[in-house]
Amino acid sequence: MKQLFYLCITVMLFATLNSCVAVKEYDKIDLNDPDMSLSARNINHFETSFQVYREGASGANGGKSGGGCGCN
Amino acid sequence: MKNISFLTLLFISIYGYSQTSTATSKEYQKRVLENTEVDLISSLYGQKGDNAAVTGGIGNEKLTDIASNIIVSIPVNNNNVFSINATISAYTSASSSNLNPFDYAGSSIKSTNSDKNESTTKNKGGWNAKSGASQISNNVANRGATPWLESTGASRSDVWVNGTFDYSHASKNRNTIVGGNISASHEFDYQSFGFGGSLAKLFNQKNTEIDLKGNVYLDTWNPRYPTEIHSYIVANEDLNSGFFSGVTIYDQNRLIMDKNSANAWKPINTTLVTNKKRNSYSASFSLSQIISKKAQLSLFVDVVQQKGWLSNPMQRVYFGDRANFYIGNASSIDNYTSKSNTDVFQLADDIERLPHTRLKIPFGARFNYFINEKLTLRTYYRYYSDDWGINSHTASIELPFKISDKFTLYPSYRFYTQTAAKYFAPYEQHLSTEQFYTSDYDLSKYNANQIGFGISYTDIFTKRKIWKLGLKNVDLKYSNYKRNTGLSAGIVSLGFKFVMD
Repeated sequence: MKQLFYLCITVMLFATLNSCVAVKEYDKIDLNDPDMSLSARNINHFETSFQVYREGASGANGGKSGGGCGCN
Repeated sequence: MKNISFLTLLFISIYGYSQTSTATSKEYQKRVLENTEVDLISSLYGQKGDNAAVTGGIGNEKLTDIASNIIVSIPVNNNNVFSINATISAYTSASSSNLNPFDYAGSSIKSTNSDKNESTTKNKGGWNAKSGASQISNNVANRGATPWLESTGASRSDVWVNGTFDYSHASKNRNTIVGGNISASHEFDYQSFGFGGSLAKLFNQKNTEIDLKGNVYLDTWNPRYPTEIHSYIVANEDLNSGFFSGVTIYDQNRLIMDKNSANAWKPINTTLVTNKKRNSYSASFSLSQIISKKAQLSLFVDVVQQKGWLSNPMQRVYFGDRANFYIGNASSIDNYTSKSNTDVFQLADDIERLPHTRLKIPFGARFNYFINEKLTLRTYYRYYSDDWGINSHTASIELPFKISDKFTLYPSYRFYTQTAAKYFAPYEQHLSTEQFYTSDYDLSKYNANQIGFGISYTDIFTKRKIWKLGLKNVDLKYSNYKRNTGLSAGIVSLGFKFVMD
């Protein structure tokens, strides 16, 4: 049930976010700053690996979500 | 006249179309990737703790890992990029070493091929001869087997290697990107083969991006078992032969066990890994949306199904409703769970056993906000749930601060909390009537705090060069991780990004 609830929230957000005002390419100076990237930093590669090994959770971060090792 | 008019109109149309085509063919198109880029990352990881899973939830968890990763991204043409990603990771682990805790400096332990009679055990789950049924001598030197000190067995260290090839193609307008990948990895008890694909679509003047990914990992165990369990099977369940020949076994009251008694020690289950496959299937969906000129957001959801042997055959379990038996110094038995125990080891009741399927569904979100030219806010949250009973929350925050046009400091904090898996119980808390059981504290209930600090150097003009490689970025980061169960870890990472001229 909880999973269904969160899925609904996600779908609603998908529907509403698409209506945001479009920012023109020439106005994206701040958004294009490397610190604004919507992905984990490359330097965190092995940090994420040890978290996958040591924690029960994994995934939902744009990276690998399972398999490739005998870890949980 | 009509025909002339028609032909004239036709000529004008064709001429106009050709002009359009010509104009398009002269239009400048930026490459997806201008130059070959090389990313190098190395890290040193160390951890310590007192709940080693290989020794049933108590014992030394000390582990050191050195790893390196290289990614080479090559622009094939204007629209396509080919990437090669390779990782090597070498670790030493006190916990893994105690797969055979009887192999330590000062003992006369020999690992011989004469005991590796695989044909007698083929029907028992395909144990691997290389893990070594051992002959033990009664000449114990300065110490004995114990979960609190590492042994010098072959399982003490290992190397994990991985290679991934990735190819992506972007449409001319850069609004569609498709990609595919294959990967392979290997370590002494595990190998993996994976493949997958991805599709990204950009909308709304590239303010909105939707990504779909699918991956399959077809993995195989090369199982290694606790030495007393597979030695018992090798010896055809005869405690007077093989590994156990001449070895004294004590009970909880420090009395010598009668090896011929019906109440003598034996594993609860002598059927080991029956299906060595361990497959993972994942589908990922993400949405990235620009909120304003200073803010953007990503949402992620994955669905992961795992099937096969999902337990770790190296990990011991002890049952609270079964008698305890030991090899080593009987006077240390009362002190077994204390670190002062250096010379007695409890024989396992079984290996960890977990269900053959697992469904994982994590939801994640990233939100970044450009506060000003100096400061940016980066945040991340994830809710995770699976059908083993684990629910978790992850939240992190990072504040990159530009101290100059080239240097950025980025402190970070991460909080993690999870509930326990249904099948987890600490050392000696499981019952032999349970179907599934583990004492792996990675599946227990706990909170963890992680503090990190990094410094980044960026030179977009890549003035510093090594051969043809211009140095674009250097990153150095340290993170400290602490669980409320006692595990603590630290990792330092160093990364370089080069751009080839």
